Amino acid sequence: MADRDLAIRVEHLSKRFRIPLDRSATLKHRMTHWRSASRYRTLEALLDVNFEVRAGEFLGIIGHNGSGKSTLLKILSRIYRPDAGVVAIEGKVSPFLELGVGFNPELTARENIFLSGSILGLNRPELHHLFDEIIGFAGLEQFVDHKLKNFSSGMEVRLAFSLAIQAHAEILLMDEVLAVGDAAFQEKCFDIFNRYKREGRTVVLVTHGLGAVTTYCDRALLLDHGRLVADGDAADVTSQYRRAIGMAADGSRPNAEIERWGARDVVVTGIRMLDERGVEDVNPATGGFVRIELGYRIQNDAIADFTCVLWLMRGDGLMVSEATFPVSQYAQVGESQRGAGGTIRFDIPQLSLLEGTYSVDVEIQGRRDQAPYDHLKNAVHFRAIDRRARRGVIEPGGVWSVVPDEQPPTWPDRFDPRA
Amino acid sequence: MSAGADAQLPGAASQLDSFRHYRHLTVELAISQFKLRYTGSVLGYFWSLLKPAMIFAIMYFIFVDLFKINDGTKFYGMQVLLGIVVWTFFSECTGSAMQAIASNGGLIRKAYFPRSILVIAASLSALFTFVINLLIVFVIAVGLHQIDISLRIIIVLPLLLELYLLALGISLFLSALFVQFHDVSHLWEVLMQLLFYGSGVMFSLTYVLQRLHLALEVGSKTPQTPHLLWIVQIMAANPIMQTIEDLRHALLTPEAPWTELVVTGHLAAVHQYAALDVPWEAPLPFLAVLMVVIFGALTFRVRARSFAENL
Repeated sequence: MADRDLAIRVEHLSKRFRIPLDRSATLKHRMTHWRSASRYRTLEALLDVNFEVRAGEFLGIIGHNGSGKSTLLKILSRIYRPDAGVVAIEGKVSPFLELGVGFNPELTARENIFLSGSILGLNRPELHHLFDEIIGFAGLEQFVDHKLKNFSSGMEVRLAFSLAIQAHAEILLMDEVLAVGDAAFQEKCFDIFNRYKREGRTVVLVTHGLGAVTTYCDRALLLDHGRLVADGDAADVTSQYRRAIGMAADGSRPNAEIERWGARDVVVTGIRMLDERGVEDVNPATGGFVRIELGYRIQNDAIADFTCVLWLMRGDGLMVSEATFPVSQYAQVGESQRGAGGTIRFDIPQLSLLEGTYSVDVEIQGRRDQAPYDHLKNAVHFRAIDRRARRGVIEPGGVWSVVPDEQPPTWPDRFDPRA
Repeated sequence: MSAGADAQLPGAASQLDSFRHYRHLTVELAISQFKLRYTGSVLGYFWSLLKPAMIFAIMYFIFVDLFKINDGTKFYGMQVLLGIVVWTFFSECTGSAMQAIASNGGLIRKAYFPRSILVIAASLSALFTFVINLLIVFVIAVGLHQIDISLRIIIVLPLLLELYLLALGISLFLSALFVQFHDVSHLWEVLMQLLFYGSGVMFSLTYVLQRLHLALEVGSKTPQTPHLLWIVQIMAANPIMQTIEDLRHALLTPEAPWTELVVTGHLAAVHQYAALDVPWEAPLPFLAVLMVVIFGALTFRVRARSFAENL
């Protein structure tokens, strides 16, 4: 490669998948349908993609589900072969895309470290040397010889993570590593990202968390149906993506104008939606932490008692929920004065909305008469993203179980299907 | 623009590096597969000994006690036990290695390494069990004074290598096809049944000759059933038959001369019958192994490119 600074060079990269129309994996089917054996649908997963990544660069790849971002990552890691084009890589690439690759639930933590560590490119002496550090960082000293199947998912993720950060690749490829784990874990991830940045390692990150992209990535690529549609500054590309997904075709008018009315005795000075790190994110993940923050200022000395009401609205106009907060009872305004103000926070520890477009309406109103001081309709638009693509409206947080029971529920006689 | 251009052009040093790493990964995978094979069972590893022993007991009862199969060879029970241990290895190795790719879809879709490592690891784990079983059979045989210990034991090593290569070649072929066609597992089951009888696990080549009455007497020029000659010829070309016979020959036939052991051990019995003097048959099993390995490796190489997409 002529340019020594270049870590990855991709030219005219194309990849297509052939999806058989009727999936039948038996020899008999092949034999009896040999004439139609070539009937398949071709999916252009990547189409003439060109880009370069400099050594030490932090690159984010974003795009909707099925846009080809994971396929691209798999080609970079040599898991998939490209159909056409050139992929040139300078430096040692991490051979894994996710945490805990090769973990086996039937093996102990110790055995899994040696097995999964080998896949990550570490050899036995190295793993022996790093063993205590890996276990210590994961905080699993007491569970070294416990089988992985007895670990909680949090413990497993911690183990996977502390192992993964030991891989000494110059170019790291990561597919949705942030999607697993709780806020504390994500915090750890970001610490490591910062360390990688300092060390000048090249990182290619595929994620739905646009906040992470704007915070950590120098540059971002936006893919749409296998085409590279944007390549540039991370903030520009993410906002382009936000605009693009805002126009989802589910019958909603997601980008409807803000409508505002009220007496303006108290005004909303601004509103934003944040993720757990306080980074603005209008694509929260189902189950993730969401904070809606709004600023207010009192414009009228006579106002002593006021309430904030927040409505979550679905894209089609259905009210999902209403939440009321008597601000003046909690705010340290005391004798309310003109010009006093503050920030009201509405924290949702685990967003229960499944994938879809939503908006937030807010109103500050008089506590007694409920007179609207400042009403903002469509104050925030957001799209909940459910990584598991479940159907329905909400994630109820239900827990399944089955127990032996001497008195199981029975039908009333008139409903008994046997009657 | 080269279509499907390769990602890296590593130097010699890094190639050696990755070779070392992949060797390490293979061993690591083989160890965990060996551990995993017997998890959840009370007797654990003991099963790998118990299974051939129990099969041996059944087979011995049916074939020897009931059907009176016995070619009059010395140490006949030992011959059968040796055959069963070899057969158990062959069947477990191909059986588990066939699934090695399909059952590791998660790994293949999420990490890069040469795919053959998974098959090699599965076969190594079976080989490890085999070698231990063989050692135990050896100890039993010594204890019962049913073995002739001499320098010729070293012949066992190339025979094991040959057997392993055969099993590996077949495993590569089967595992590559199994990804898209699960039919091969059923087909292979049937073929294994055929191979079991075609490999002389329970009997020697001599016994087949005796039963077919190909010659009534040693040295006779007129075989009684010449039209069945092909059965013996095919069996003599079968590498599993050859390895089992040669192992028996090396370990259990003290009177056999060295030349016979090295070159045409498994044909020794055939050669006793003048009508069946077919020296050109001697290299056939080795050629068969070579072809199986080459064909298996090539098939695997071609199909491995799309494993990640097809799983």
